[in-house]
Amino acid sequence: MMFEILDAEVLGIITLTLRMTLFSTAISSLIGIPLGLWLDSARFAGKKLVVIINRTLMASPPVVVGLVVYLLLMRNGPFGFMGLLFTFEAMVIAQVLLLTPIICGIVHTASARSAEGIRLFARTMGANKTQTQLLLIKELGNDIFFAVVTGFGRAMSEVGAIMIVGGNIRHQTRTMTTTISLLRGMGEIHQAIFLGAVLMLIAFSVQMTADFFRKRERASDENF
Amino acid sequence: MKISKLTKNFERFSLFVDEMELVPGKIYGIIGPNGCGKTTAMKLIAGLIKPDSGQIDRCGLTERDITMAFRKPYLIRDTVVRNLTYPLTIRGIQPDERQIKESLSLAGLWDYRDSFAPGLSSGEQQKLSLLRAMIFSPKLMLIDEAFSNLDMESAGLFERMILERQQTNPATYLICAHQLSHIQRLCAYIFFMHKGKIEARGQAEDILYAPQNPHLKNYLKYASLREEAPGWNS
Ligand SMILES: Nc1ncnc2c1ncn2[C@@H]1O[C@H](COP(=O)(O)OP(=O)(O)OP(=O)(O)O)[C@@H](O)[C@H]1O
Ligand SMILES: [Mg+2]
Repeated sequence: MMFEILDAEVLGIITLTLRMTLFSTAISSLIGIPLGLWLDSARFAGKKLVVIINRTLMASPPVVVGLVVYLLLMRNGPFGFMGLLFTFEAMVIAQVLLLTPIICGIVHTASARSAEGIRLFARTMGANKTQTQLLLIKELGNDIFFAVVTGFGRAMSEVGAIMIVGGNIRHQTRTMTTTISLLRGMGEIHQAIFLGAVLMLIAFSVQMTADFFRKRERASDENF
Repeated sequence: MKISKLTKNFERFSLFVDEMELVPGKIYGIIGPNGCGKTTAMKLIAGLIKPDSGQIDRCGLTERDITMAFRKPYLIRDTVVRNLTYPLTIRGIQPDERQIKESLSLAGLWDYRDSFAPGLSSGEQQKLSLLRAMIFSPKLMLIDEAFSNLDMESAGLFERMILERQQTNPATYLICAHQLSHIQRLCAYIFFMHKGKIEARGQAEDILYAPQNPHLKNYLKYASLREEAPGWNS
């Protein structure tokens, strides 16, 4: 047996996983939400292409992203001097690259659906730029929230990219998913299943909590 | 407010307003068949869309002085009261509780004050949006079919509100409605649009009861207008 069920090492792994997930989701949200809103309002040549590229990145294979970050961070790579490869930071970088397009894409889609009407309304009320932006975030609140929660779920369950750039180093970059992968390789199926169940349980609790906080009021529509 | 040589082109529609003048403190009507460009003209005047060419002289009015109420209003995903006070909130004005209670009660919305506004019925939504537009006393108010779902009593209420305000706190109104009785009771001067152009204009009596333009005559053919406007002032 590699470890006892829920011993200090497992708890460390869970904490590390949550810390990495929180960090990457927070950073990706800070970039992705404004980017999604901007992408809807901006008018420039090649915008369609940018949207399509973003949609592609939303579904980019984690191992490819991991590989790219690996190449950038490896000792002879352009950012090798920073010595980030196989660190917590490297995993967060890879996760941010995976998550940002997802959050940006969801926010952009929601924004494309209703932002125009909200902006027009704000003008009829005499709202200034900041007030319009605040209203937009408030009105799109549920969609933005959904984008963040989706990003969180994705970050927690991801394994391909962080395995490559984190290296699954014990006590440093070993997360729940990389541990599961390792345990399976070692034939420790029971422990792998246990950790997998814990992971699913955490994911489920996160979604439950998110659903609890979601605003539920429904607009009326005469048609249904 | 003066408009000259205003154009706006869409794929299958072009608007051309040669000249239009709105004198402060007067109530104007704008009528015409579906798709003749009434909404487009009003959005241009409100500054919500940009013209392709031409001038609009707003005589010093800024965005903060102009508002437009729509047939399908946008309501914030929040309570009725917060919708009503939104224009005050963004202006940093403390809402007057008594006045809010009074206006919501008049419109039959007081019991719904804490309800989710987008969940109201379509007529209630229109009433709320009209109250919200009037609460900050705009200098120019464009009303685009915002009476269309109101029951007769509610429509009468808003007509009276507008006319009463003209005594104390006059503003310029441009009102579009397909129900000509509203236009008849409210407006002193009417513009008739047809296929993107203003084809007739004049005093309400002349436009409604003595139309000259053939398109206008045709447009009024099915209108049932009373011979005499009841006149809310009397
Ligand atoms: N953003 C737009 N893009 C393309 N065409 C438009 C746009 N807005 C309006 N149009 C067209 O311009 C024409 C006039 O529209 P508008 O809404 O001004 O008509 P209206 O007089 O208000 O009609 P209604 O009485 O039905 O409300 C219509 O044929 C419409 O399809
Ligand atoms: Mg219209």
